[in-house]
Amino acid sequence: MGGLGAFFLNSAMAEPNAAKNAASAAALPIQHDPSAPLSPLAPPFTPKVRRVIYLHMGGSPSQLELFDHKPELTKFNGRDCPEVFLKGKRFAFITGVPKLLGTMYPFHQAGKSGTWISDRLPHLEKMIDDMCVINSMRTDQFNHAPAQLLVQTGDPRLGHASLGSWVTYGLGSENQNLPGFIVMISSSSTTANAGKPLWGSGFLPSVYQGVQCRSAGEPVLYLDNPKGVSRVERRQVLDAVDEINRQTYAELGNPETVARIAQYEMSFRMQLEASDAMDITREPAHVLARYGAEPGKTSFANNCLVARRLAERGVRFIQLYHWGWDSHGTPVDQGLNVGLVDCCHATDQPTAALLTDLKERGLLEDTLIVWGGEFGRTPMQENRGGQEMKYIGRDHHPEAFSIWLAGGGIKSGITHGATDDLGYDVVRDPVEVRDLHATTLYLLGFDYRTFSYSYQGLDQKLTGVKPARVVSEILA
Amino acid sequence: MASEPHASGYLSAPLYLLCVALVTGVAIATAMALRPAFAHKMLEMTGLEAMPQAVPNSFYAARVAPLFAQHCISCHGETRQKAELWLDSYAFVLRGGRHGAVIHPRDPKTSELMTRITLPAGDDKAMPPEGKTPLSPDDVTVIRLWIAAGASPTMPAAAIKGVPQLVAEVTFPDLDPAGTRRRRAPLANVMQQLSARYPGVAAYESRNSADLELNAALRGATFTDTDLKAFLPLHDHIVHMDLSGTAITDASAQALAQMTALQTLRLTNTKTGDATISALAALKSLKFLTVTGTHATGPALAPLSKRGVTIHGDGDAD
Repeated sequence: MGGLGAFFLNSAMAEPNAAKNAASAAALPIQHDPSAPLSPLAPPFTPKVRRVIYLHMGGSPSQLELFDHKPELTKFNGRDCPEVFLKGKRFAFITGVPKLLGTMYPFHQAGKSGTWISDRLPHLEKMIDDMCVINSMRTDQFNHAPAQLLVQTGDPRLGHASLGSWVTYGLGSENQNLPGFIVMISSSSTTANAGKPLWGSGFLPSVYQGVQCRSAGEPVLYLDNPKGVSRVERRQVLDAVDEINRQTYAELGNPETVARIAQYEMSFRMQLEASDAMDITREPAHVLARYGAEPGKTSFANNCLVARRLAERGVRFIQLYHWGWDSHGTPVDQGLNVGLVDCCHATDQPTAALLTDLKERGLLEDTLIVWGGEFGRTPMQENRGGQEMKYIGRDHHPEAFSIWLAGGGIKSGITHGATDDLGYDVVRDPVEVRDLHATTLYLLGFDYRTFSYSYQGLDQKLTGVKPARVVSEILA
Repeated sequence: MASEPHASGYLSAPLYLLCVALVTGVAIATAMALRPAFAHKMLEMTGLEAMPQAVPNSFYAARVAPLFAQHCISCHGETRQKAELWLDSYAFVLRGGRHGAVIHPRDPKTSELMTRITLPAGDDKAMPPEGKTPLSPDDVTVIRLWIAAGASPTMPAAAIKGVPQLVAEVTFPDLDPAGTRRRRAPLANVMQQLSARYPGVAAYESRNSADLELNAALRGATFTDTDLKAFLPLHDHIVHMDLSGTAITDASAQALAQMTALQTLRLTNTKTGDATISALAALKSLKFLTVTGTHATGPALAPLSKRGVTIHGDGDAD
């Protein structure tokens, strides 16, 4: 028995780092004042970025038409897909033996970095040397809603906390008159698949969820006072409601009650600041022109300009969704030859303008920009129901997709990872969604292994239980 | 005598033990003959054969063994030994498996292991088999160069040229709450006063640091030259400063010159100009400067730019 005891002692001593990490994790819990749950909090480690602007391209843009240059695929255009790619695979819509589909648009090398890009993004291309293109993203979900949930909450099922709510939980809000996490939506055609849980707080207190704002009209519905109610009267109503809520909290002690008080108070303060932040008519004409923004419309261009205004006002996590990239080839707006062109047209100039604008204001240095969908698209042409489709499209493809990052702490002007000659599988430097999350948290000053929230007896983490890593190769 | 018949009908104890030893011996010998890797393990355990050992800082230990550990030993290691091949120690890697050696030092071309890891995905003989993560082209290069250089257990990690760089994993610094408290102590009084007067303007960069960020941009035009002066007691701790859209002017030049720890300074849309820029020469740590929408001019910015400071905007105030 003494021998066995010594064995256990040795194995415990063999892992001093594990013990030390556990100890240091416990040393810095996230502690917010319950009455001010959004008060700013410094991250545990020196951050490289202080805010994130996440441009989620809903529906998933085709990497093969934008960033992943595959001349070999074009050579085999129209040929049957080799059996090795089909054996044991299940697709969302493809059946039987589909044909390979060559890249629809010409590619060229751009910028000093010589990064490959297609001719569909002529504005963004001018910023290519500020971007890091990742062509080796992978996911394990091939339907939109679960894949979007995985990208935004780290889990394909409902109930988990979104990336933005983790950040708001960890850092609070720099500006006490605005939410720390703001979401805006535009679309070329279809709308959200997974809906509001994409910016929900899951198991985190609900005060950390994303607040959806509209880019036209009132930014937040029902934020303005009703007709005939003055700000003073509104204050009196709030005081009365707060008093009742405080009594309820004293009686039952539910932290959600405190969250509710804080949210009412923030909406009151937001009445002044949110309207100002969202009001792009305050921008000079040349700025509006740079984005292609038109006040009064709901557009990705307007949202990009608002995103810059929010970044300047201390909002930590700004998320823009643009739907319409689901290029199956079924209706016309889902064709690679029509719908994708429309989406590029709606987003190319404003995305480039946002990067340029942030750079000019010195804000790109401490902002992380993430651009990407929820999965990739197949190198094969979709043949839904074994039929030839009216428009040209590609099916969902979890094995490989492209995203790009820009901003603080990111090595710019590089392409990371690669797929095989047909663009089917990742062959170099695969990056899992959880690796992207670990990297994002690292840039914000968190260790993804210790940034956790106790729920249902588990220390819940954004990166889940599978091994994740910070993608050190793309760090500046 | 009740015990008498027993003595004649059963083996005596010494003979019994001999038989057990004989059977065990035959079993071990058979196993050793059929499973070479097992034979070596037995010989090594009994001290009859010396195992070549890899040196801790060798190329093998630093670059090759981790690849085997990551991609191979779940099938060729302690728990399973498919094809009698063990890839969990240098000695066994060189010994090979049921079909003989898998590595021929200095000759990657004839080395079975090289052949297997370079077969196209989908080939029945490709390793790791379908469904497992393949070795990256860089991983294959590492193994090839090691075999070509003699598959040595001792050759130092730096001795082989043209090897793909090892990816450095990110590490997090140790959290040091006591040290942080100590380094923040001298600032505590000033921070308390300033936080009361200017809530949220100055904040620690991280919970593990005594470095400060000063963000006056949220205060806009209400933040003046006088207000900036109030932060001078923190001059050697402020590393990032955002004065965008504030009312500061060239009258703050001298105050800024004393902010010796500054790495980032944003003056976007302020009424500052070349007098401020000239004062910044004193800031040796400055890395990023934004002058968009100020009166700063190219000639004043040139020395900073030459020094390697990244400058955004060229003072195009209109």
